[in-house]
Amino acid sequence: MAQTFPFPSRNPVRISFATGLIVLTVFGLVPAVAVFVVSFTDLRGLPYLPVNWVGFENYVSFFSPAKRADSMNALWNTVVFATVSTVAQILLALGVALLLNLRMRGRNFYRAVVFMPTVLGVTVTGLVWSLMFNVTGGPAATVLSWFGTSSAFFGDPQLALALVIIVQIWMVMGISVIIFLSGLQAIPAELYEVAAIDGASGWQRFRSVTVPLLAPSITANVLLGIVNALQSYQLTYVLTGPNNKSTQVLSLLIYVQGFGGKSGTTLSQSQGYAAAISIIQFLLVGVVTIIALWYLRRREAKL
Amino acid sequence: MSVTTTRAGNDPEPVVAGSLARPHRIRRTRGRGPTSVSWGAYACAALLLVVFLFPLLYLLNTALKTPEAFVADPVGIVTDPQWGNFFQAWSQGNFGAYILNSVLYTLVGSAIGTFIALVMGFPVARGYIAGGRAWTVLFVLVLFLPNALITQFQLLLRLGLYDNRLGYILMVGVGVGIGPLLFSGFAKSIPYELDEAAALDGIGYWRYLFGFVFPLAKPALATVFILQAVWIWNEIILATVLLADPAKFPVTVGLYAFKGTYSNNWPLLAAATFIVAAPLIVGYIFIQRYLVNGVLGAVKG
Repeated sequence: MAQTFPFPSRNPVRISFATGLIVLTVFGLVPAVAVFVVSFTDLRGLPYLPVNWVGFENYVSFFSPAKRADSMNALWNTVVFATVSTVAQILLALGVALLLNLRMRGRNFYRAVVFMPTVLGVTVTGLVWSLMFNVTGGPAATVLSWFGTSSAFFGDPQLALALVIIVQIWMVMGISVIIFLSGLQAIPAELYEVAAIDGASGWQRFRSVTVPLLAPSITANVLLGIVNALQSYQLTYVLTGPNNKSTQVLSLLIYVQGFGGKSGTTLSQSQGYAAAISIIQFLLVGVVTIIALWYLRRREAKL
Repeated sequence: MSVTTTRAGNDPEPVVAGSLARPHRIRRTRGRGPTSVSWGAYACAALLLVVFLFPLLYLLNTALKTPEAFVADPVGIVTDPQWGNFFQAWSQGNFGAYILNSVLYTLVGSAIGTFIALVMGFPVARGYIAGGRAWTVLFVLVLFLPNALITQFQLLLRLGLYDNRLGYILMVGVGVGIGPLLFSGFAKSIPYELDEAAALDGIGYWRYLFGFVFPLAKPALATVFILQAVWIWNEIILATVLLADPAKFPVTVGLYAFKGTYSNNWPLLAAATFIVAAPLIVGYIFIQRYLVNGVLGAVKG
């Protein structure tokens, strides 16, 4: 792999490489590694206060009776959000990709429309859907009123997380659709002809050819979905605010603990504690990703 | 990402059974002809359009109402369009400045990230830098870093870059870690003979990298740039934490703050949202193809 170096001097390579590496290290790697260190201290948000080494206290505190309710709530919300949004998004995106893979008039337009929310961004998406789910006579409330019911939507603790998941899917589904479309287009046309001769039913063809040949796209989508969903909080922040218990995911708990918000606990504003939550989230993401990758690779090999 | 494999392409066993190839299914639908299935497909596509476009049309509809008309009938179609809402939202929300901030952060941040991808990805792909595969491992590791909100804030605070445009730009510039990995994968497709030929002609490394590799690698670099740009444009939490002065807010934070102030005036809020969304939609129409290809390139890479 290492070719002989053809240029007269290696110094330019070293200088430009080092420039990139320094920026990446200082602003990317140093904060990431420092989170581990900080999670064992009682660092606070205000600068120049003394910082003490506290060992595992922050981690113990995360699971302590005083905090357990908040912690487990955020942990549970994170897991539900990641699982449901990833699975639902992939199923929907697959359906939409199959539809938009047909030779239809204007399909490029449909594809562009499905991908559009990615560009609109979280704040616009969040406000548009806050408006859609406006409690007093918004479109969703109007539809419910036809059936004689009503709902508080994002104000309903039973419903808020589900609605955030729906909006999340609306916002990010386009990327999954595009990934699936590229996978579908890579399936050789000859297989379709063989399929026609063999006369398998539509479902059989889907199950035996489309799904196996889409396996790499499915793996890519599942991993992207899990990593995004376990860490995403920007949309939740815009839709329901950082302190709404029914939608508070781990990332938002980090934000609230580290930078204000009212959680009413003794360690409030402790950034060391917030860093410990970051590490717990990191471990969760790592474990889930490794399990998912292992499972999907095994399935890919079997198919 | 490296998660896709090429297994599908080199499977030696021809798969028996069939596929969901719609053209065949259409032909096999006896008696009714292709139009009947297409009709169902068009119905689904129409539903899709409603799901994705209705919220925006409703936003526009709301933006054109008076507050009284909105309260009286939130879902009714606007009868007396209030174009003044847009001017009012524009002047009260200071969106011109926010949008300029966002454009600045997005362009410079993405450029920094793309530059890093170029100057790090190329020598690693070629083995021009000592360390070999360890660098590739590093490129993969940066994709899976923990949430570093706390330490990013502390770092900028200690560097004197808190509430500073440059600090925020540098932070978001490295925020999408996929660039170097993506680019080192692409750089392998540039023939090594080109390096040799250029060196023989007496071209230095930097002139080669920026004058020859850069133009050749434009599609890959555009992918890196666009992936960063979409992320930076949407970023809201880091901006909330790292910037304190409203004059430096990107449009995400600016619009969110506007919501806090005018949450009881939906037509004005909708007008503000539309002001932010409209240039994005117009811009998206132009860059749509590159954007979609960019995502594809990232996944295939």
